[in-house]
Amino acid sequence: MLQLIAVHLLAALAAPALVSRFGRRMFLPLALVPGSAAIWALTRLGDVLAGEVPVQSVSWVDSLDMHLTFRLDVLAWLMVLLVGGIGALVMIYCAWYFATGAKFLGRFAGIFIGFAGAMLGLVTTDNTLALYTFWELTTVFSYLLIGHYFTRKGARRAGMQAIIVTTFGGLAMFAGFLILGAMPGGSFSLSELVREPPAGTAATVAIVCILVGALTKSALVPFHFWLPGAMAAPTPVSAYLHAAAMVKAGVYLVARLAPGFAEMDTWRWIILITGSATMLIGGYRSLKQHDLKLLLAFGTVSQLGFLILLVGQPNQAVALAGLALIGAHAMFKAALFLTVGVIDASAGTRDLRQLSGLGRNLRGAAIPGFLATFSMVGLPPFAGYVGKEAVLEALTHDGGAYESALLAVVVVGSVLTFAYGMRFLWGAFARKPGVADAQLDREPPGLFVPGFVLAILGLGAGLLPGLGEGLFERYAATYPAGEPGHLTLWGGIGPALALTVVIVAVGLGLFAARGLVERAQDAVILGPDADRGYRTLMRRLDRAAVAVTSATQRGSLPGYLGIILVVTVVSAAIALGSSGVQIGQVRLFDSPAQLLVAGIIVIGAILTAQARRRLKAVVLLGVTGYGVVVLFALHGAPDLALTQALVETIALVVFILVLRRLPAYFSNRPLKSSRWWRAALGALVGVLAMALALIVPAARVADPISVLFPTEAYEYGYGKNIVNVTLVDIRAWDTMGEIAVLLVAATGVASLVFARTRTRTGRVERMRDRRSGDAQVWPSELEDPASRLRPAQGTATAPRRARSWLTGPGALAPNRRSVIFEVATRLLFHTMLVFALFLLFSGHNAPGGGFVAGLIVGIALTVRYLAGGRYELGEAAPILPGALLGTGLFLSAGAGAVPLFFGGVVLQSVKIDVDLGILGEMHLVTSLFFDIGVFLVVVGLMLDVLRTLGAEIDRQGEATGTASPDIAHDSPRSSPDDSRPLVDAGGEH
Amino acid sequence: MTFVPPSIDWAALAPIVIVLGAAVVGVLIEAFVKDAVRRMVQVILAVVALGAALVTVAWRWTVVQAQGPAELVGGAIVEDTPALMAQGVVLICAFLGMLVIADRVGGEDGFTPVAAGAPGSTYEAQARRLGLVQTEVYPLVLFSVGGMLVFPAASDLLTLFIALEVLSLPLYLLAGLARRRRLLSQEASLKYFLLGAFSSAFFLMGLALLYGYSGSVRFADLAAAVPAMVGMDVVLLAGVVLVLVGLLFKVGAVPFHSWVPDVYQGSPTSITGFMAACTKIAAFAALVRFLYAVVPGLTWDLSPLLWTIAILTMIVGTVLAIVQTDIKRMLAYSSVAHAGFVLLGVIALTSSGISSVMFYLLVYGVATVGAFGLVTLVRERDAEGNVTGEATRVEQWAGLGRRHPVLAVCFTLFLLSFAGIPLTAGFVGKFTVFAAAVEGGAWPLVVIAVLASAAAAFFYVRMIVLMFFTDPDQDAGSTVVRTEGTTAIAVAVCAVATVVLGVVPTPILSLTSEATKFML
Repeated sequence: MLQLIAVHLLAALAAPALVSRFGRRMFLPLALVPGSAAIWALTRLGDVLAGEVPVQSVSWVDSLDMHLTFRLDVLAWLMVLLVGGIGALVMIYCAWYFATGAKFLGRFAGIFIGFAGAMLGLVTTDNTLALYTFWELTTVFSYLLIGHYFTRKGARRAGMQAIIVTTFGGLAMFAGFLILGAMPGGSFSLSELVREPPAGTAATVAIVCILVGALTKSALVPFHFWLPGAMAAPTPVSAYLHAAAMVKAGVYLVARLAPGFAEMDTWRWIILITGSATMLIGGYRSLKQHDLKLLLAFGTVSQLGFLILLVGQPNQAVALAGLALIGAHAMFKAALFLTVGVIDASAGTRDLRQLSGLGRNLRGAAIPGFLATFSMVGLPPFAGYVGKEAVLEALTHDGGAYESALLAVVVVGSVLTFAYGMRFLWGAFARKPGVADAQLDREPPGLFVPGFVLAILGLGAGLLPGLGEGLFERYAATYPAGEPGHLTLWGGIGPALALTVVIVAVGLGLFAARGLVERAQDAVILGPDADRGYRTLMRRLDRAAVAVTSATQRGSLPGYLGIILVVTVVSAAIALGSSGVQIGQVRLFDSPAQLLVAGIIVIGAILTAQARRRLKAVVLLGVTGYGVVVLFALHGAPDLALTQALVETIALVVFILVLRRLPAYFSNRPLKSSRWWRAALGALVGVLAMALALIVPAARVADPISVLFPTEAYEYGYGKNIVNVTLVDIRAWDTMGEIAVLLVAATGVASLVFARTRTRTGRVERMRDRRSGDAQVWPSELEDPASRLRPAQGTATAPRRARSWLTGPGALAPNRRSVIFEVATRLLFHTMLVFALFLLFSGHNAPGGGFVAGLIVGIALTVRYLAGGRYELGEAAPILPGALLGTGLFLSAGAGAVPLFFGGVVLQSVKIDVDLGILGEMHLVTSLFFDIGVFLVVVGLMLDVLRTLGAEIDRQGEATGTASPDIAHDSPRSSPDDSRPLVDAGGEH
Repeated sequence: MTFVPPSIDWAALAPIVIVLGAAVVGVLIEAFVKDAVRRMVQVILAVVALGAALVTVAWRWTVVQAQGPAELVGGAIVEDTPALMAQGVVLICAFLGMLVIADRVGGEDGFTPVAAGAPGSTYEAQARRLGLVQTEVYPLVLFSVGGMLVFPAASDLLTLFIALEVLSLPLYLLAGLARRRRLLSQEASLKYFLLGAFSSAFFLMGLALLYGYSGSVRFADLAAAVPAMVGMDVVLLAGVVLVLVGLLFKVGAVPFHSWVPDVYQGSPTSITGFMAACTKIAAFAALVRFLYAVVPGLTWDLSPLLWTIAILTMIVGTVLAIVQTDIKRMLAYSSVAHAGFVLLGVIALTSSGISSVMFYLLVYGVATVGAFGLVTLVRERDAEGNVTGEATRVEQWAGLGRRHPVLAVCFTLFLLSFAGIPLTAGFVGKFTVFAAAVEGGAWPLVVIAVLASAAAAFFYVRMIVLMFFTDPDQDAGSTVVRTEGTTAIAVAVCAVATVVLGVVPTPILSLTSEATKFML
């Protein structure tokens, strides 16, 4: 069997070239390819009759249990015969059907053979995964075949619809196979599954999934709408895919699994409901079609429902009839489609209202048409009759409620079938009053042959019912219930025969009243239209997706963050709530002062969140920070308080320096609703953090490591200031890393700000660099309130060198100067430097240390800069920050490495006590040098920040004439920046 | 308090050392090599380093097979088969991704000539005119790959965190370097950074809680503490959840996925491909290690969370992908959906789960690099016929199959693989993951996953139909630009791998199934 599939594959690859080269006649030799499968099956007839099942197995992907296992039992044999035989006949038909110069014929031939090969694999493989693979291949190939006329929009849409529906089903089936295969006791082998069907919820779900796959492929309700749509395909495709082969895949799968699962309740009900509904709806709908092909399509839908209804029953006799009907249906339906193709080609239309007189004028189509229709409606002695008779016989035999329901459905369905069968014959071949005989083109005889062959075969199979019974009884015997049935032309006079008579009579009546039926159908809309339902579903899906996208993915960062926060809060809350939370002991406060400070912090925080002006927000944020400082101090931690206060101050300064370049206000407030939920979310996250803070310490069982710090700090670091000793000794490695990061960050900030003027980075701008023509520092349009006190312009004498401190020509614009600030600066600057040095050296035992000292120097420099402008900064610190940073890092690292030379370890501290006589005793710990390095790095960082975010931004502003707006208050003359939201302001740049 | 330096097995660390060393050398090259040859030197260095690392990983694989797994650097990093497998997959995708990154498609570098210049400024125009190139890209990618190599091998939370940052920070930067649509690119970069910073914060918080719980950051100690410590479940659970948030963010699982579409769309496309493939591989490998090390005692508590996330990820990713009109966004959402599928294998918590995840990631990574590589080639044309940015609007791809069949066929292959159609690698990947999930008892997830796949097949197929069967819109003219060859090589390799892994996956499958043989 593998060889046969390989032949198909090779032929599929070769066909495009052959057909393009030699034209449509190449279809004839190519027909041998699917034909070979049928011939091969025929040669195996003896084995099959004897009950021998040839098996061929090639391992493909062992670890996944994917094997190419093929076996030819009766069912497979029947399907191979149909797939191969009808495939060959349809290909012969193609050799005449297409116009000589038709485009893309080569492609068509290749895909057609590929499809036949895939179908062949599908019906012979025993491995569910291989079956799924072939299944999807048939889907893809059928898509390409349906969409053959891809330049037509309708064909494209029909193909798309078919592929979506069947791929959906295929994937559902895949899930079913997967569950059946991977679950305990499951298997990927069809025969093993049937032999020992797994049970349980998972197995039931799996079976439902598999049935969904089968139902979509065989176009059962509610998935039936794709099949009529697929009639956009060329007629040979309809004849092959939609009558004989592809739609039979679902029927095949049901028949394949029924012996194992047909007694499962879920299975029975799904089969009964969908099968019945399909049989009835299909038959009913076909009664009003005017397009012969559509009439047949709905008829096919109806028949497929019928077939699945039969082969899905556990009853052996019913199943036997079902198998017989599979064969019969393939023959008569393919013949009918081919006939319609002939009519279409010859008369140029398929509309039964325009066709007239073909029965007489187009005998070549009429004869197979009549023969096949008789088989379809179940007239003796055709194959269809034999099958249907066996069904009625079997169902009248057992008299349960389920069987009675089934019988009723079959009878009603057969009536409908009879009626639309007659309608087809009448529509295609009758001479209608008032319609002129159709003009007919002469068609080559080859076009008629395949239809004839199939119709005759239908007759032959009907005449030899014993052969069918001998073949199929072996497979029917694997079904779990009932008694073996029989296939016969004459079953004696009984209820079955009576029912047949009834069917014929009522069917004829329905046909006679066809006008009435059509009008009734137009008037009554029977239930929801599945096609429209599908389209609505797709549209809804689209809309829902758009809605979800616009709700969750609008590109708003707060939105994204909101989602993440919500999830975190919810999941953490669930985690906390589900596990018996215990809150530790809570002491509200040590002193009422703490309560007061906490209140101020809270108010500050709320006001910060409410502030619209950036500056206000920053200042209020500062309030919370300084509140924490006070809390530290109240708690008795002056070192922490000192550090925190300085950090707050520096942060405030840096914030304000940056804010100068931003609009004064935050962007427009969000809408009220979103403001509220954002506030609520913020509060929730805060509450969660608080809850964690309360819960987690209580849950702690180990001693905190910090308990050891005081003694460790004194014994190994020789200092009493735990904060500082931690920095320079206990956690010295961390500090080393941090100052390295600081250095990188400072350099990064500088390089961004100086990006455009790389040459300037290496220079410090001092007073003497200022030229007389340069703009003033921080020019302002504000009125100078002290102007009357100053000497008039031009009369001022050049100040002497010694007096340039804060008042030099490069200092501020006059209206920016503040006498109080200048005086304070003069008083404070040097004092702060000395104080910083004091802290640096005393830091080991008292509050202070290199970090704090560095921050104080930084603040001193800030004061100088704010009081005197950018040239003044250059005067205050005529050194490049990079030099400070580098020296600092070098010193720290060097100091850390020195102990290595004395046999110590990196960053080890040593205490040196020196008696300095009158100055007292100096207690020196070597970690001081490390601390000096930290000090230098911090000073360097501060200088860098001032130089880049302060001075350089000033300079660029002066150069381009865009002074920073006054952010502290609204200028009397409002500038555009203030009133507009940020978005607009940003848009201008 | 004595400090005992860990003994370091340099041979075992070789892959990481090679990549990070090359990255450092790359930084030095930036400083010292002349402009004219700098780019060439960087490219060669990067490609050679990745290739060498890959070879080294293969060598270490044989060593581990012979000698068993080992702890390195005092137990901070482990060398076992899952780690090496993940590193190998990362390196394969990174290597292919690097080929795409290095390609000057259409004669111009894919990155902005000067990242610090404001978009649209004269400064930028000047840099463009002078033909500057931002060659820092290559060391940045190498740093990121270095982090990705450590990530799956990290066996303590601190190392995991550091690896997370090492792999993320360069990516934040790289996301902002697109040559065209720079504002979009910078926005992507900023969003990625901010959201990434938040998730890192969550991760750190979780790390702290877990440390508080167990007194150790080592996975092994943590796992040992799980049954032992009674009464601290809150801390444990909260810690695990927060760490998971950090990892799931990197993976791009819903609801931590919101950055994915914006970042994938805004980033330079070659970087998107690299990032989409490699980050996901590394993050999933780390996630698996974390879960398998810590969770066995917590399965009952965590599986509702993981199930919910997996379901949401599959559904949201798929449904939103349907309506996308931008190819990069569509691929982004599809990558979200794929994260959901991989989560199935992760949730399985079986050894076949690990190997299936590895295989899936390889398959997905290869197809992703290939697909984004192809996106770099399809460009827009402006009114004068000049080739401009990438044609990412879906309708611009209409009819591409007729004008550039090879390109369209390759893209179709990748799409089919994403859709999980049989005979492509994606099918085998999906199959292994789903089968593992069923074995682990998660069959309802499999049903949902397959339904999601069906919906996903819809938009993949629609794209294929568009390329082959739709007439091109005259206004939305797009064209395909020439590559220097490396992208073509990468795409060809990806396409071949996609087919080969789909038709004869057995050798690779047996390799991945050995991935769980030696696990620490």
